[in-house]
Amino acid sequence: MKIRTLSYAWVALTLCVTLAATASADQPANQVEENVPAVVAADSYVGDVAPGIQRGYGQPDLFYNFYTQGAANRANAQMYLSPMPIPPNVGHTFYTYQPFYPHHMLYPHQNRFHRHYDCGRGMNRTRASYYYPPVRQTASNVYWNFLRIPR
Amino acid sequence: MIHRIILAVGLVTASIAASQTSATAGDPYGMAQVWSYNFSMNRPWHGNYYNQMYGQPLALIVPPTAHMRQTYSWGVSQNLMYPIHHQFGRSANSPGAARGRFYGTPKWPSHTDQFGTYYVRGPW
Repeated sequence: MKIRTLSYAWVALTLCVTLAATASADQPANQVEENVPAVVAADSYVGDVAPGIQRGYGQPDLFYNFYTQGAANRANAQMYLSPMPIPPNVGHTFYTYQPFYPHHMLYPHQNRFHRHYDCGRGMNRTRASYYYPPVRQTASNVYWNFLRIPR
Repeated sequence: MIHRIILAVGLVTASIAASQTSATAGDPYGMAQVWSYNFSMNRPWHGNYYNQMYGQPLALIVPPTAHMRQTYSWGVSQNLMYPIHHQFGRSANSPGAARGRFYGTPKWPSHTDQFGTYYVRGPW
């Protein structure tokens, strides 16, 4: 008895699906074209504000150099490789990992480095801390503050 | 209960005190940085002498937290302290890294500026 009821339901469901498919196939073409923007909107990304307005992503240059500033200079100095630009037949040296730049080792601080990739869909964030080595600094403090003869 | 509250307050205070790594200088608004920048805009980073190894003044990178330099010469009144205004920035302006016209180190140097090495603070 239960199986017969289920078979009736299955036949009814098949009929409904067939009718719906034929009805959608009979729809005029302009209604199909109206569905196209909906498909495009479904393909947009989460970060997009509106179609046509692109979100800007930072693309910081990895191989920038530092120069002395000022309008009164008679010669500017380049920080890497100091003090002058090297001739083109020499070749260049780059630090490809920004946290390892030597000028960050000059003083204790913290810094964050951001790198966007994959057209801004991904971002790598690196946090770097530069500090004095604790044990050596403690030993140095003990020496300079207690052990050293002040003279 | 009161013991727990006291313990919690103590822990929070200790964590706050431990999070402050070092005392900062009394320059909360970066005024000294602005002054140094303004001063460095209209005076050169170098002196009148070139470094003997490079043929032009040599920029010696010092920490960006450094703020004074000492010069030595003959006589007590010639030992002077100057602020270090200049700091390395991003882009190069004119005259680029071209060679200027500088003096060489004298055969008998009488001043530390005559060696052609001048301090420039590193970038932040």
